[in-house]
Amino acid sequence: MATLADTPARGPAGAARTLWREMNAIQRLALALAVILAVLALLAPVLAPFEPNAQSLMNRLRPPVGFERARPGYWLGTDELGRDLLSRCLYGLRLTLGLAFLGALIGLVIGGTLGLLAGVRGGRTDALVMGAVDTQIAVPFTLIALFVLVVFGNTIAVMVLVLGLYGWEQYARIVRGEVMKLMRMPFIEAARAAGAGPARIARVHLLPNLVSPLVVQFTLSLSNIILLESTLSFLGLGVQPPTATLGAMVGVGRDFMPTAPWIVLAPALSILIVTFAVQILGDWLRDRADPRLRKR
Amino acid sequence: MLRYALRTLARMAVTFLVIVTLVFFATRISGNPLDFILADGLTSEDRAILIRYYELDRSWWHQYLAFLRGFWDGQFGLSFIERRPVGTIVLERLWPTAQLLLSAMALTLALALPLGILAAMHRDRWIGSAVMTLAFLGYAVPNFVLAVFLILIFAYWLNWLPVVGNATAWHFILPTLTLASGLVAALTRFTRNAMLDVLGQDFMRTARAKGLSERAVILRHGLRNAGITILSVVGLQVAGLAAAGSVVVESIFAWPGIGELLVRSAIRRDYPVLQFGVLTVAFAVIVINALIDLAYAWADPRLRQRGA
Amino acid sequence: MSHLLKATALATSLAALIGAAQAQEITVVAGNMSSYLDPGRDHSNVGSQFYFNLFDPLIHRDYSKLEPEWLPGLAVSWQLVGPTTMELKLREGVKFHNGATMTADDVVFSLNRMFQATFPPYQVRQRDRLGNFDRAEKVDALTIRVHTKREETLWETLLNLQQLYIVPEAYIKALAGDPNAVENDDFEAWGLAPVGTGPYRLAEFVPGQRIVYERFDDFWGEPAPLARVTVRHVPEVASRLTALRTGEAHIATNIAPDQLALIEADPGLKAEGSNTALFHVVIFNVNHPKMQDPRIRRALSLAIDRDLMNEALWLGKAIIPSTHSIAEFGALYMPELKTFYYDPEEAKRLLAEAGYDGFEVVYDMHSPSYYTNDTLAAQAIMEMWAAVGVNGRINAIPKWTGNDPNMMARTWSNPMYFADPAGMFGVMWAPGGPAQSEGRFNTDADYAAAWERFRFSTDLEARKAAYAELMERIKNDPPLIPLWRPYESWAMRKEVSWRPQPGHIPYVLDFRAGAIALDAMN
Repeated sequence: MATLADTPARGPAGAARTLWREMNAIQRLALALAVILAVLALLAPVLAPFEPNAQSLMNRLRPPVGFERARPGYWLGTDELGRDLLSRCLYGLRLTLGLAFLGALIGLVIGGTLGLLAGVRGGRTDALVMGAVDTQIAVPFTLIALFVLVVFGNTIAVMVLVLGLYGWEQYARIVRGEVMKLMRMPFIEAARAAGAGPARIARVHLLPNLVSPLVVQFTLSLSNIILLESTLSFLGLGVQPPTATLGAMVGVGRDFMPTAPWIVLAPALSILIVTFAVQILGDWLRDRADPRLRKR
Repeated sequence: MLRYALRTLARMAVTFLVIVTLVFFATRISGNPLDFILADGLTSEDRAILIRYYELDRSWWHQYLAFLRGFWDGQFGLSFIERRPVGTIVLERLWPTAQLLLSAMALTLALALPLGILAAMHRDRWIGSAVMTLAFLGYAVPNFVLAVFLILIFAYWLNWLPVVGNATAWHFILPTLTLASGLVAALTRFTRNAMLDVLGQDFMRTARAKGLSERAVILRHGLRNAGITILSVVGLQVAGLAAAGSVVVESIFAWPGIGELLVRSAIRRDYPVLQFGVLTVAFAVIVINALIDLAYAWADPRLRQRGA
Repeated sequence: MSHLLKATALATSLAALIGAAQAQEITVVAGNMSSYLDPGRDHSNVGSQFYFNLFDPLIHRDYSKLEPEWLPGLAVSWQLVGPTTMELKLREGVKFHNGATMTADDVVFSLNRMFQATFPPYQVRQRDRLGNFDRAEKVDALTIRVHTKREETLWETLLNLQQLYIVPEAYIKALAGDPNAVENDDFEAWGLAPVGTGPYRLAEFVPGQRIVYERFDDFWGEPAPLARVTVRHVPEVASRLTALRTGEAHIATNIAPDQLALIEADPGLKAEGSNTALFHVVIFNVNHPKMQDPRIRRALSLAIDRDLMNEALWLGKAIIPSTHSIAEFGALYMPELKTFYYDPEEAKRLLAEAGYDGFEVVYDMHSPSYYTNDTLAAQAIMEMWAAVGVNGRINAIPKWTGNDPNMMARTWSNPMYFADPAGMFGVMWAPGGPAQSEGRFNTDADYAAAWERFRFSTDLEARKAAYAELMERIKNDPPLIPLWRPYESWAMRKEVSWRPQPGHIPYVLDFRAGAIALDAMN
């Protein structure tokens, strides 16, 4: 990582220690939370005490352990079909994070490719790509996402596609800008003259400059995608029941708010913590990567 | 400047046409609206009758041309479901949405600008971090979570505030709070960053050297210069957030606005309403953006020259 | 600040309440709201809420009774004057809400606009329930005759239908285009500004948002008990309950069983419920290549433990039918038939016999959720199918898939459109009816013959025998399984006395005299 390259190289462990020292308390908390949540999501199948979709119709809407009527072993209580909320939260977190990560990755690939094309080919390609970027910016993405899901059906594939389109224009702009800057540099001419192919130029000169802004953008869009996914799921446009995602759990649970608020509380808090942690980290990365902010 | 304005205008028109056309054809790919409206329990004979009646047997091109003709004669058709002119339906919902957005925007500006400046001035002190942490929290709470909890606490448990529709000023409180939370958070961060940018620049040092108080420097010079950046953010990012948020907020609070209308028409494939609604929203967004662009160009001399 | 808020809000709501009680005004918050108000075109569960306050049929019934007891409506008397002809004497001096006096011409127009429909949406209704009517004709200023094509056993039942409510001819014709001609646009405009003879007139209608009724002072019958009723669309159930608690509203519709405990716990609120006269059903596509074997569909049906779901999701308040029959049918109610039941072992046996190879059974349901408890039921059914080894998957989409050849199974509802098996099972499963026409149900000559005897036989026992025969066929080769008569609840403030009347079709919000009362504030 280019951001890491700025720190005196003393091996990865040393770099990590330096980074940790740079962070303030909140950022450390965010990092810790992010790591914990990532681990929880990855280990969901191991950690979850029950199958997330296993119902027990006669044990619906039981409160968390410690309350009256609680069902032993069901730590966070049960939901509207008697399923274990803890297990559903873990699997929901896993799916939400997985979808968001995949989406952000697809956005990076699409946006990066288009940006690269626009930057390298220039001319009409550039005009076309930038026109698309402008159009994209002009229309609020949530509306597009809603529209696409409604029109093409709410399957996982469409959901991934929609999330994958999120933020492509940001990546495209970053990559295009960097490529154009680079193309004007005299040393590129020199490298070309020395017989370096486009692949080599890209690897040696382009990538190092791109990594930092792209990582920042990736992190920032990750949290936005999580929010987007949960909003769409809340509106009933997410993945199909009974599959759990955090947003869908809040969406279904809201009818039970006055009677069984725990159904909403657990997934709502999970969304909040995830987005909060990722936001803080993204912002911290951006501040580090921005020379103007670093000077001060 | 004129050429710049004309170019902006031309780009707007193209964007507009692209959006409207995409929406037109994308909806039609996804199936016959009859299957979404009055579908169940029709014999094939009845189905054929209704398809003819709603003129859904015409080719897409025919329908598209009829739609484009609307720009000429102002006739965009009747809603499949409500059987009223789509213009009436969309227009009666514009004002409630505008009211909601404006009140949320007012609250946002009133909170976010001072908070952002505060965070910038005290960047390295606890107050700066506190503001920013709050801002992150505000951004991390999804609208729908906030709405659900606000309703539960302030309406259901405490019975302080009404939640149905937009009849009185009291009805504005919860939806506005819900919508503004994310906007305040976003704008606070942008304001802070824009101010940090400006605070480090030469003219600020000059201003300080002239002996102006820090307060005066920040308010008079800093804010004015950061204002351009903030303005563009209000236009784009915040407008986007607001549009997205209003869909959720309107749905939850039974607010008779255009966001809820668009979602419902999309779900039920009420093409005429959907087309005209998208057209209206796209038009509004594009015009607002263009105005901001122009203001931006007017405020930034370098850009003005580039355009000329 | 908070105290101020609270005090103000309370004062406002109290004032509103007191004012409401004095002025006989109420607000209803409804989970669903009509997009148009045309009783002829509409047969939705949403629309049925609203027409009864505005319109009258020729023949009323005592809606407080389950058993049909016919009462004079806009006709004061009626008698058969031939095997296929009924003569009706009209009530004198009935006023429409626009001030016009109802004439025999209005009545003939109202009936013939449906019997000999030219407006396509009416043609659809004509075919699915009014097919046996030929025409209506005027005899003199206060007498009309109605002719059927074949002998009819359901005269009163059909003339009581919402589709045959009486509407003003001249008013409708003048709505669009030529004021003396019937045009499609007249009926389109009519749906936004309907005028009837009922005890309330429509003071305001914003489609999808709000309906305001006002007492109609020239009503021919007992005056409306309320001066003004506002019905608002509030989709969120938590918001509807909140509106009741804050006093913004007096009645809230569409309350799920899970919320009932909450209402009972609130000293200011109460709930009224009833088993709505409709079935939530699962329909199968008998022509889907993988679903053709009746044993597969029988197994899917036998695997569903409806009683368990009733216990868990409906608090035991739903009614689980043993066959496609409900008490409203009166003499034709046949609970003794055992068409649908739970037997997982038999289901497993049938699946093995049919050679079920684990293929995925896609279960379509409406999205967003449409019926009370539908999402919960769908998930529970998937679990029950899994228990007998069937691999089911939910596919929630906003689209109607009943006519899609790829549809395998789907949730739906089968309302009682009128109190006879012909008005419930018959509207959907008649030979050549919607189910068959959409390609997911087949009938043969035997079925058609049994149908014929069931529908048109004048002998009650013959009708019953024929219906039993139809049910036996449905049992052996099921195109559907009725899940339950849902228990639907309305929550209201204690001072409101209202309950759903058993003689109505589903969901009718009846605010006529005798159906609703407001207690004085205590």
